[in-house]
Formats: sequence, structure tokens, C-alpha cells
Amino acid sequence: MALINLTGIQPTDYEVLGEDASPSEGATVAVPLKRLLEVEDAFFATAGSIGAIIDTETSYDALAAISDKIAFAVIEFPAFGDGRGFSLAVRLRKDYAFKGEIRAVGPVIPDQALFLLRAGFDTVEAVDDRKEAFEAALERFPAFYQTDFGGQVSVAHARHSGEGQRKAS
Amino acid sequence: MYAYDTFDHAMVNARVAEFRDQVERRMNGELTEEEFRPLRLMNGLYLQLHAYMLRVAIPYGTLSADQMRKLAHIARKYDKGYGHFTTRQNIQYNWPKLSETPDILQELADVEMHAVQTSGNCIRNVTTDQFAGATADEVADPRPYAELIRQWSSFHPEFSFLPRKFKIAITGAKEDRAAIKWHDIGLVVKENNEGEIGFEVLAGGGMGRTPVIAKTVRDFLPVQDLLSYLEAMLRVYNEQGRRDNKYKARIKILVEAMGVEEYTRQVEAEWEKIRHIPIDVPEEEIARIKAFFAPPPLAVLSNDVPSVDELASKNFIFKSWLANNTGAHKVPGYSNVTISLKPHGGIPGDASDEQMDLVADLADHYSQSEIRVSHEQNLILPHVAKKDLPELWQKLDEAGLGTPNAGLLTDIIACPGLDYCSLANTRSIPIAQMITERFDDMKRLMDIGPLKIKISGCINSCGHHHAGHIGILGVDRRGAENYQILLGGSGAEDASKAAILGPGFDENGIVDAVEKVVAVYLGEREEGEEFLAAYRRLGPDTFKEAVYGAH
Repeated sequence: MALINLTGIQPTDYEVLGEDASPSEGATVAVPLKRLLEVEDAFFATAGSIGAIIDTETSYDALAAISDKIAFAVIEFPAFGDGRGFSLAVRLRKDYAFKGEIRAVGPVIPDQALFLLRAGFDTVEAVDDRKEAFEAALERFPAFYQTDFGGQVSVAHARHSGEGQRKAS
Repeated sequence: MYAYDTFDHAMVNARVAEFRDQVERRMNGELTEEEFRPLRLMNGLYLQLHAYMLRVAIPYGTLSADQMRKLAHIARKYDKGYGHFTTRQNIQYNWPKLSETPDILQELADVEMHAVQTSGNCIRNVTTDQFAGATADEVADPRPYAELIRQWSSFHPEFSFLPRKFKIAITGAKEDRAAIKWHDIGLVVKENNEGEIGFEVLAGGGMGRTPVIAKTVRDFLPVQDLLSYLEAMLRVYNEQGRRDNKYKARIKILVEAMGVEEYTRQVEAEWEKIRHIPIDVPEEEIARIKAFFAPPPLAVLSNDVPSVDELASKNFIFKSWLANNTGAHKVPGYSNVTISLKPHGGIPGDASDEQMDLVADLADHYSQSEIRVSHEQNLILPHVAKKDLPELWQKLDEAGLGTPNAGLLTDIIACPGLDYCSLANTRSIPIAQMITERFDDMKRLMDIGPLKIKISGCINSCGHHHAGHIGILGVDRRGAENYQILLGGSGAEDASKAAILGPGFDENGIVDAVEKVVAVYLGEREEGEEFLAAYRRLGPDTFKEAVYGAH
């Protein structure tokens, strides 16, 4: 697998924690969100860094309990057409001001690269031979109609700011 | 009309380049068909029974004469010399080659058009009243808001992979000609007691196998809050709409399941959180877009035009056309002209390249170079001076575009059906042709008056049969095409669901059934009572007896 870096963040090097395993001292591990909702505080204290593995069945309410305890989030797309993954990332950034890495895993495709970046994802796990296509897709659009979580200001706002007027001329 | 700035141009051109790359990657095997499918659909490219079909967006049904000429050119160069105008105010080409579609999109981009999100599980082309900005019964022109929504919904990072397709319609008039209550979201422009413009917001309407009429979510939404409110509505749907069953994935099912009160509560709660972040556009942007839709400078003229009255008194066809195909304009002395694409015996909504070119020329001459497409699959020339009507009618009539049947029984909506569509159970077009041939008598049609027939070739309801005064639904009955008849639907402000009258018929039987229903109406109607009102008063039994009683 290749890691596509959308935002230039320092990607987290983590291991997925075994089903019943406990994190070792100082480890960087990803744990299913359902388990994180049940574990004791000591669980978080032991590990150096914990990330939540979030499936698309997760309700955004469930993010509230863990968003300030995790260092990174791994959102699992069961299919590339499951758009709930985008809303989950938006919720983390918008409702919980989550600043850590958000990674997309699962069968997302290069043509979604900008959607992922703009919904708040930092990184994508992709099959090796698609790295180039992902990187090309990131360069595809010169402007956007929505203000987003990748730091883009919408065209509607840019049109009426000094910067936008320069660009448009 | 809206005109692109450098941003709009850059984005549409980028989309063309992206699609060209996607087609190339599909053709060299880098993309699987499964992966390519949603990508091509998001650009309006379907695989039908015989070939690809390209659906081109006509945002809110407004076209310039030059854009219409380009549509004619594409029909000539890349298709078989015709196009099909649809119930979502778009145009479909039935025979493009996959390898040529990027070139078609580039030609469209050159005249500020595209096929963005005309299909797929995303926010589709926003539709509106075909007389927007020109009709006398309007609070405000809804098109600036439709354009605002077009931009906000294009390439939306969060809402491009929804549970299912999503359709928004908006009207600014008292009479609902956009069927807003049959949409995922319906918006009605209104004025509050303080004289401010805003919207009544409805949600959860839709046709398909589960017809539902939309419910009001908010009585008054201020203009400046439109996009953040839509974003909240879409987010709740994207998160909670069903994804396990495509027939239960539309927002209507979610709103029914959670109840409109709970849906509204969640939307309002989300909206409160997001209305302070810059989703809504600056006031200057609304003003910028509005300026493009400023009313054309029309000098007030007299409504009394002797030459029109004189021709009408001598010529029954012109008189009928005047009564049915012209409507009141905001400015005295002008009309909005409906060009019927429903010639008797013809294919509803089809236009040839020559006809499209002619309409473009007539628009340059008579209607400020503006053309509209209606959801009833006709074309409109707005802003026509009444004194020009006789001359315009003659030119239309010579080109087979003068059928005076707008709003009458033969002004039929029909889906493409089994002649083109891979989902269809039955053909639709030939049924429309048989009905219009059976009723090919203008005196009879004028006597019958307003009556909307809508035909779908399967339960997906693209022909809006649920909203037909008379609806016809094609079903497969042990391998044979069978047609059910439904009565009492409406797509207007008094929206209602049509009800099935009884067992279905073969293709000749359904035409007979329509004739019997009409005969009951003619026999039972009260003075000035239209078909739908008579049906609502009489109920189904009288009709049932006539259609099924005596065999």
C-alpha cells in the first residue's frame, strides 16, 4: 500500500491493536472506536498515542466522547461511494475542532482526492499503482465553490476579496 | 442570464479535462467499469439499452439563443440530428460515442454549459418555473437563488456521494409550475410581513415506487441563510439516509421514518452550529448574481392588439394557440409563448437540429435571445410582444412547432421507456403517440380543456405518472407490456397522488380507457369545471364503472 499525503502533515506510524490486546507502554496504536468508548482511562494513559478506527456506521454523536482523547482518526470506507466518511471527517473538524491526522482507508479512488482533502482528511491509504493518479487528481481544480476544511475559500467569497479580484482578472 | 466569470470558466474547463482523463483511464483499463460508472454518471453519461446517453444540464431551464444553437450543432455532429428535452429541464442525446463525449463537453463549456451532476447520487440540476422572471404571478425571480445553489452544490466535497440522487426545485410564483412538492427539497420564494424575501422550505417529496408529497420544514428562511440551511438538510440526510436498499435511500424515506418534526429538529440544531461559518455567501455575491437576472428593458405596450384579435377571429388554430400557448407577462403588451414539443403523433420532448436552430433564431428576433425549457418538456420564448404573435405563430407552425395544445390532453409527459431505457418495463412513447393520434382534433381538445396525462414505462416514475390528472404506468405482466391507469394526481400547488383505478390494459386498451375516462368527465362536469376538479368531486367510482363496468 502507498500512503498519499494530501496536506503535508507528518503521517502517523501506527499499528492496529489486536482485538483483546492492551497497548504497550508508549505505543502508537489504532483502536476501533467502539472499544475506545468502553476502555478505562488507564488504557489511554499507557499508550503513547491512540487513534480511533471509525467505520461509516458511526453516529457523529459517538465522536464527542473520544475526540479530545485521540491523536489521530482512521475513517474506514467500506465502498468508495459511502459518502458518510466525508461527513464524519467534517464533523471531527467542525464540531470537535479536531486537529490531529485524519486518514482514509478502504477502496477510495483517485478521483476523490480533492473531496477527501476538502472534507478534512490528511492522508489516504491507497494501492501502490494509484499514487500517481491520486497526486495528479489533487492538482485538478483551480478554484472551488465551497469554503472547506482544506483551507480553501469559496469562489463566492474570493470574488469579493482583494485576492479573488486579482485572480479573476 | 447568468454569465460565467473566469472562476466559472476555469472550473468547467477543469471538469472537462478531468472527464477526458477519466474516459482515457477507463479505455486503457486503469479504471474498472464499477469505478468509472459513478464518475461518468456524475457527468451525465448513462449506458442505456442501445448506446450511451449524455444528459446535458440546462440550469433552471434557461438558455440563450447561442446555447440553443450549440445544442443543435451537437445533435447534428455527434448524434442523429435530434435531442430530447426532459422533465428536469435538461436535454439528452441518445447516440453519442464514449470517445467523443469529452469533445462534446468542451463544445458545451465554450458556451458556458456542462453536464455536471445531471446524474449520480449527488445534488442534481436545480429546476424552476419556466416563466421565472417573466410571469405576472411572481413574488420574485427564483433563478438567482437557483444559480446560487448550482454553484454551491457543484463538486461539493461532502455531498458528492449521497445515499441517492437529490433534486431541488424552486418557484417564485403562486401557481406552482415546477412541481416543488414532488422534490427532495422544494423552495417557495415568499415575502414576510416586513417585506423581506425568503423561502418556505419543504423536504421529503418524491416519486418512484413510494410517492410522497413534501412537507414543510420551515415557513420562512431568510435569503442570506439559504446555503447553510441546505447544508444542514443535506448533512442530516447524508449521515442518516439508508444505504442498504437503493429503493429506500431517498430523503423521503428518512423524513417519513424519523417524522418531519424530528428531521426538522435535527436540521435546525445543525444549522444553529454552522450559520456563523462562511457557507453562506456575502451579500455582494447575491447582488452580483441577481444583476444578471435583471428584467429586460421592455417598453410598456398596449394589451389590445387588433391584428391579433382579427387573426384569432378567422383562424381557430391560432385562437387555440393564443388561449393555450401564450401566458400573461409582467409587462403589459407582452406574452410568454410556449412552443409545444408535443405534435400529435410525435415523440414528446424531441426536437430536431433544424427546429433548435429555428427556435434560436426566433429567440433572437422576438424574445431577447432567451429560451426556457419547461419540466413538461416544451420550450418557451419569454418576453414576446403581443403584436408579434401572429407572425411568430406562422413561423412556428411552418416548422411543425405550432401545435396549440399546451396544457391540454395531448401535452403529454412521457419517459423514454423501453425504446431507450434499460430500466423500463414497457414502451411509453408509442402510447403517447397513440393517444395524441386518437385525440387529434383541436375542437375536441379545447372542449375537454386542461388535462395532464403523464406516462412512465416503469415504477421509477420518470414520466411523473403519480402527478398526472391521468397517470399511466407501464408494468410487466408475465412478459407482456401492461398499462395501469391512475387518476387524480397533481404536480401543482394542490399536489396530490394519483390512485390506481383498477387492472391494467394492453396498448390499445389503455387508449380506450383514457377515452372512457374523458367521456365520463364530459358527461358529468359542471359549468366551467376542469377535469381534476370534477374527479375530486366525483371520486373514482363513476370512472371505474365506465372503464371496467360494461364489457
